[in-house]
Amino acid sequence: MSKSSITASGHTLWSKMPKANTELFALTYGSLITELLKDYDNDIEEINNQLERIGHSIGIRCIDELLAKSEVNGIDIGPCSNLENTAEVVAKIGFRCFLGMTCDVANVTEKSFSLFLYENPLSIFVELPETTNGDDDDRHQSFNSDGKENSGGGPDWSKLKYSNVYCGVIRGALEQINMKVECDFVRDVLRGHDVNEIKVELKEIMSDGAGQDYHEE
Amino acid sequence: MAFLDLFIVNKSGGLIHHRSLSEKAPQIGTNEWLRIGSTFHSLHAIAAEASPVRGKIDDGIELIESEGLVLCCFQTRTGIKFVLTAEPGTGYLQKVLKEIYVAYTDCALKDPFYELEMPIRCELFTQAVNDVMSRFGNR
Repeated sequence: MSKSSITASGHTLWSKMPKANTELFALTYGSLITELLKDYDNDIEEINNQLERIGHSIGIRCIDELLAKSEVNGIDIGPCSNLENTAEVVAKIGFRCFLGMTCDVANVTEKSFSLFLYENPLSIFVELPETTNGDDDDRHQSFNSDGKENSGGGPDWSKLKYSNVYCGVIRGALEQINMKVECDFVRDVLRGHDVNEIKVELKEIMSDGAGQDYHEE
Repeated sequence: MAFLDLFIVNKSGGLIHHRSLSEKAPQIGTNEWLRIGSTFHSLHAIAAEASPVRGKIDDGIELIESEGLVLCCFQTRTGIKFVLTAEPGTGYLQKVLKEIYVAYTDCALKDPFYELEMPIRCELFTQAVNDVMSRFGNR
């Protein structure tokens, strides 16, 4: 598929999807994060993992929805011939049709690519608190096991990957089409960078399973 | 021109849904259906391997036509097979299968208690399939 037809397909699918209120969406996600913070007692590493896991459960279902809705709307997302094609579909169709987000693909190599997310609907009302050092914080919590620099202060908010759920979604979705990937949120506007960047690395392409039994030796 | 049966097979060949769509459908027990599901899954894979021209990843049996029956299969990119049997001469088989795929994503997948690859026991999904059937005129 050419780049312009991919973008056009993304727009078409977005127009066909039922919409929800952005504020409701952002605030629901925010309350999910607050609950996680309470449940895991501000253990930032664990929360990042949980968000990724939640994203994974979402991703494995999203891919079928994307493929089904595009079939029915006459959009043919043919099999992707290379990783760049896959990246374009994820960015221009996937993120566009589910969240209305504009995404760009960059740094494409044989085994990895980066996604730049410009506006992030999840973090529209969010500001990460300052990481407190020292004893003037009333809640003393040390996280020596995580190896953070400030022991004896509050949790290290700069390590929180607020939108880590996206990484899980990408991993889950690509897993269903036999691509094993690892995703990481490398740059985050909430942590002071200028753009949100997700780096996706292809680990392996899994073989299908059924066909293997009947391969001619 | 009637649709007879719908069955859905998961990635590993297990039957996750079966439903007869009219009274003309043969009365077969559940165990038989499980066998039919896994047999079809294997045949689909063998057909792809045996093909002289190896094409895309979703190669496999698409259509079986015989005097008494037409069987149409739609395999999704994620490995699920939607199979429809119908009387010969029934139209719109591919279209109906795609609509059922959409119903699957909207009803079964969005059900928070549904686990992937497990049997589909979802009232909304049954309703949605009924709607698709009435739209494509199952007489």
